[in-house]
Amino acid sequence: MTDTKSPPERRVVLPVDPTRRTEIDKQRVPMSARPYRLLALVKQDAVVRVQKEPDDTVMTWPHLLAIEFLAAAAMSVFLLFMGLIVNAPLEELANPNVTPEVAKAPWYFLGLQELLAYFHPTVAGALVPAFVLVGAALIPFVDRANPAAVRPSERKTAVVLFTLFCGLGLMVTFIGIFFRGPGYSFILPWVDGFFFTL
Amino acid sequence: MSFLERVDQSIRRSPVFRSIFRNPYPNDERSRAYAVMNNVFLHLHPVRVRQHAVKFAYTFCLGGLSFFLFLVLTVTGVYLMFFYAPTANQAYTDILRIQSEVPFGLLTRNIHRWAAHLMVFFVFLHMMRVFYHGAYKPPREFNWVVGVVLLFLTLFLSFTGYLLPWDQIAYWAITIGSNMAGYAPLFNTPSKILLLAGLEVSGNTLLRFYVLHIMVFPLVGAIFMAVHFWRIRKDGGISGPL
Repeated sequence: MTDTKSPPERRVVLPVDPTRRTEIDKQRVPMSARPYRLLALVKQDAVVRVQKEPDDTVMTWPHLLAIEFLAAAAMSVFLLFMGLIVNAPLEELANPNVTPEVAKAPWYFLGLQELLAYFHPTVAGALVPAFVLVGAALIPFVDRANPAAVRPSERKTAVVLFTLFCGLGLMVTFIGIFFRGPGYSFILPWVDGFFFTL
Repeated sequence: MSFLERVDQSIRRSPVFRSIFRNPYPNDERSRAYAVMNNVFLHLHPVRVRQHAVKFAYTFCLGGLSFFLFLVLTVTGVYLMFFYAPTANQAYTDILRIQSEVPFGLLTRNIHRWAAHLMVFFVFLHMMRVFYHGAYKPPREFNWVVGVVLLFLTLFLSFTGYLLPWDQIAYWAITIGSNMAGYAPLFNTPSKILLLAGLEVSGNTLLRFYVLHIMVFPLVGAIFMAVHFWRIRKDGGISGPL
């Protein structure tokens, strides 16, 4: 529980506005509000089972299941809505002899295609993806400094490096989506228009 | 008691209903615990979860929604499979027929397409959420690796599906995407032949991508998902708040 970190003077039970009291609030018993104190220690193997201390958990049914249901329902409505108003793209029949003016990879590989414009194909097409795959899988084995450090302020290096990496990936993908036109030439979307299909 | 209530009661008391749902509707802690434990779909969850785990702003439901999108894609994909043959001659006309003649064909294809893009996006976001929460730290290292494998399976599920309409977008996007595999040092030509079943995208590629898309990657993905979900609980449940 987190209340071990807070200073003693803050260990008071905050009154919850009765109109806003939810089921979670009713089940919640702050450790600081325990109306009892330690009288004796009972051995674990005692015949009588000791009453479990109030903890910070809630029942999966209904608290978690309700949220999961709502999220799934909202997603279903969104997909149905999208499916009704936006048609999936379909162009003319595939023709190996006619290269279209604008030929782009799917958006999640567009960052790599963008890198092809700057680097040798072996670097952009093989080494970078391999580095990303292996590097991502190795993160937990490289970042072993302090397993307890989870706050961003406690692990600035990891957060900054990861954010930089994600930012770079987003940037090359964005350039590939918006700033590349016919023949993969550099364009300005507000001048030449938009050349991208999902 | 109104008519509807009487119908409701008689359904609930019927032996068929009670053979399916052994317990009455759960209203107290004990019966709710049983409901989660005894249901094959719900027993993925523990009976109780920590409070922070049910806060929407902690997980944003990203992992759960990725899985939900996978289910949506399975259902819509199976429906589309009934009307699609993966041959260079037939694929494109089948797509046209799905859009014009098949009942709800256009809607199903649209949902399949948008859900696929959204799944790739949500898996990315889920990975970022897990990183920023430091949720890959011991004892969850291996589950992070499983997650990375799932990310790449998602990418290749989407990539193999991209070719199936057999139109100009599909053909050239896959040509460009798979050209990158051809740049691998030493094994460039073998890797291209393995991926495309030839040196360029052809009818053989279509069949290969189809089998990978509808059978191999979903099955492998389902196995890794099972491990992923199992390990969440075995590694101590969802990670703690910051």
